[in-house]
Amino acid sequence: MPDTTTGVVVIGGGSTGAGVLRDLSMRGIDAVLVEKGDLASGTTGRSHGLLHSGGRYCVNDLAAAIECVEEGRILRRIAKTTVEDTGGYFVSVSEEDLAWEPRFVEGCAKAGITCERIPVEEARRREPALSRHVRTVFWIPEDGHLDPFYLVVGNVESARRRGAQVRTYTEVTGFLKNDNRVSGVVTRDIFTGEETTIGCQAVINATGAWAGFVARLLDVEVKVVPVKGVMVVLSHRVAHATINRCHKPGDGDIIVPALSVAILGTTSAKVPHPEVLPIEWDEVHHMIEEGALMADGVSTARAMRAYAGVRPLYDLGAEAEGREMSRNFAVIDHEARDGIAGFASIVGGKVTTYRLMAERVTDLVARRLGVRTPCTTAEVALNDREDEMDQLRHRPAQLGVPKPHGDELGLQALICECELVRPQDVAPWFKDPAVRTLEDIRRRTRSGMGPCQSAICSYRLAGRLVTERGLDGPTATRAMADFLETRWRGVRHVFWGSQLRQAQVTTGVHLELFNLDRQLMHDLPPSLAGEGRGGGFETAEVASQR
Amino acid sequence: MKADIAVVGSGLAALVATRTLHQAGRNAVLIWPGLSSLYFTYATIDVLGYSDLTTTRPVEQPEAGVAQLIADHPDHPYALAGLEGLRSGTTLLIEWLRAAGFAWQGDLGRNLLLPTAIGTPKPSCLVPDSMAAGDLRRDDPIVFCGFHGYEDFVPELAASNLSRSWGRGEHSVRAVRITLPSFEPGNLFTSIDLARSFEDTTFRREVASRIRREIGVDGVRVGIPAVLGLTHDTDVYSSFAAEVGHPVFEIPTLPPSVLGLRLFDRLRKHIQESGVEMIWAAPAHEAEVSDGQCRRIFLKSAGREQPIEARAYVLALEDTVDGALRAGVHSMVDPFFHEALAHHEMPTERTDESLFKPQPYASIGYRVTRRLQPSDDAGRPLAGNVFVAGGAIAGYDPVGTKSRGGLAIATGYRAAQEAMAA
Repeated sequence: MPDTTTGVVVIGGGSTGAGVLRDLSMRGIDAVLVEKGDLASGTTGRSHGLLHSGGRYCVNDLAAAIECVEEGRILRRIAKTTVEDTGGYFVSVSEEDLAWEPRFVEGCAKAGITCERIPVEEARRREPALSRHVRTVFWIPEDGHLDPFYLVVGNVESARRRGAQVRTYTEVTGFLKNDNRVSGVVTRDIFTGEETTIGCQAVINATGAWAGFVARLLDVEVKVVPVKGVMVVLSHRVAHATINRCHKPGDGDIIVPALSVAILGTTSAKVPHPEVLPIEWDEVHHMIEEGALMADGVSTARAMRAYAGVRPLYDLGAEAEGREMSRNFAVIDHEARDGIAGFASIVGGKVTTYRLMAERVTDLVARRLGVRTPCTTAEVALNDREDEMDQLRHRPAQLGVPKPHGDELGLQALICECELVRPQDVAPWFKDPAVRTLEDIRRRTRSGMGPCQSAICSYRLAGRLVTERGLDGPTATRAMADFLETRWRGVRHVFWGSQLRQAQVTTGVHLELFNLDRQLMHDLPPSLAGEGRGGGFETAEVASQR
Repeated sequence: MKADIAVVGSGLAALVATRTLHQAGRNAVLIWPGLSSLYFTYATIDVLGYSDLTTTRPVEQPEAGVAQLIADHPDHPYALAGLEGLRSGTTLLIEWLRAAGFAWQGDLGRNLLLPTAIGTPKPSCLVPDSMAAGDLRRDDPIVFCGFHGYEDFVPELAASNLSRSWGRGEHSVRAVRITLPSFEPGNLFTSIDLARSFEDTTFRREVASRIRREIGVDGVRVGIPAVLGLTHDTDVYSSFAAEVGHPVFEIPTLPPSVLGLRLFDRLRKHIQESGVEMIWAAPAHEAEVSDGQCRRIFLKSAGREQPIEARAYVLALEDTVDGALRAGVHSMVDPFFHEALAHHEMPTERTDESLFKPQPYASIGYRVTRRLQPSDDAGRPLAGNVFVAGGAIAGYDPVGTKSRGGLAIATGYRAAQEAMAA
């Protein structure tokens, strides 16, 4: 007998898994999502946050572009608070770019993407950040920024309100089987090592770049090619709108203004494993150089950190590699393909099309379970209960301005001054058993994402681990240190200019005022940061709540 | 503008150098680049907290520790400044603090062990009176007191950590919180707001009485965040402690550090009042050197460059904080002589993988002669009449050994002596 039972187990807490969980719950199917890290800690949270109009794919990957057009419009309706409707520019800076333009215009027309050529002078008036190298400009009103963390959390909370469950830091180590039918999963808690079984009628593998590892537990093959992309975070928005290079997608050709920062992306390199994502100096350097061709602010803005994510490109068997591969997705019905009933995988795709991916795989599984309730995720807004979504985080985007300095926020106590995170924004998460590190708080609130990279808020959050979560001092202190270390790993790659001054403030507070370096030599509980998980603060009390 | 000796810097080394010159009757001008992050993270003056980077045993006698360090490392800035530089600089500073109205205590013979805002013990040598009652070499129980709605000092965190490491028994440390009069929940109040409020007698008395009621027992000492007055700390502290009825000690908080603000603001004002000319918020750069002597340095001021012509110069800068070093993508350059002080293929080389280990970038700075003159690779002075003090000297990082303050004092004093002799 399994420890618990449910209808469907969803493996993977990225945008796809979260979308599947919500879709299942809206069709009235019981579901549990298991994720070996935190929500949005894999590909989704490490994306560049571009809400694709489809312009980037319309020449080489028309099917993906068309999906982006439709899904982008749906997201603007159902996930208003995760979208910043910035619009975007596609700019040409070289002869090659100019030669690409006719194909781009044709692609936009075929995909149904609104695309307007505007004179460079006019474009500079609207967007003074455009560099002197810019020769021609297209305005693509449907590009924007999609907050990947908020998107996942919004989907998961919507599903939880409908009875779905979430278990983070829970890894699937095996399957329960009845002949050739999957009847459950065996899971292991990353922090406690505790094994649990969950019985179910079907399992959906929504693990993206990790899909092959999960499938292998059932001796079936799913070929996903992990392709690394490196991003650089700039300390301010740099531009009003997203800026894309009008050429065959390449390195350093996207700038996405995202809340208080801008994200510069990205590179493309095959990696042997989705968790082997070294950030090479050449990549960082090259991206900043390329980005500076499009916008003036790129080389003068303070680069705050670099991070790497992994694209889960699905190998359709073609010869293509990396960016040449389709960004399209596929539903794999393992019953039809491999003779294993009750198991389906959803692979490929991208964050912008997560909802459609979820719909397709849920259609398949629901049909197998005999559930005929249609999908309604394209109609019902994520925040169908305004009050609870409001609790998630106060969203500057809702006010129609990037960052409302002064007024309301200026008079409130803040946990994170950089990202304007208030105490009431973080408070509910300390009660959520799925939240098990300070990085998890960051992903849900943006606390620690700003210029000081958690130098200040880490202390306040550690304090709340004691007062609101009931942890002891050493455990909370270790969580604080791990949070700082995780942030530091990204800071190191862009360590020049005023970054050094910022680091002196961080070490001045934590090493000189707090003597944290010596404290860490004493008997603090061990860190999990070495495993790339940013430290957990699981305790018996928290475990008992689960 | 002409001066006898120009001092550049906005930290303790610059202040000690300037005071040394002034006491000796020399005409000094202090060029203050502006607020440095020291304001936000300074509290005590640490001379030597740990003898090396791996020990967890604090140094008990800082003077003896520094003497040993000098014997073991003859090129260490402490060795260049000499034990005598540290002693004389400390005496000068303590006397100056008294003259400026501060009540500080401590001597080079021993370190105090003070609880931090996370409840770790930290060795410090010279401390304000208002912090001294926290000394963990004493046995009396501690109550950490925080304020509802104030996030920058969490008494529960401090108490939990200290009760595990201090070893005076489980019941010797506890945490309480009180509600401050007139503060609405959800309102923003910073350490500076609180420090201003504590200068008000009625407010202070009410807080003291609430703390007394909340504690309810005798024989304890009370640790509260360092917000007891922004400028008039001495009076605020002593009257507050009397009203609380227990020994009270301040604990440095998250930035802005009220203790750092008090220290630097008052010393800066005091030195100005004593007649030293000070040029405020003017980053200095570019040294004009001929025949091995610095003839002028240039200030960036509104709309133009202002030359300062002095007989000798003390560059008392704190690493990158107040502009001693400029970190480009690949090289770190000094602003005066445009010497490349370090070159890095990749910016990651400047840091350690761990934030809590010594950082290579923190040791980058001016190579100096035995007289603290900035020198080239071969050890020849770049200018015979320029002397470096403080964090901008290459080859050491005060963070791990908790020695920033002592090094600033010793090198600031010694650089001033050299400048006078030049």
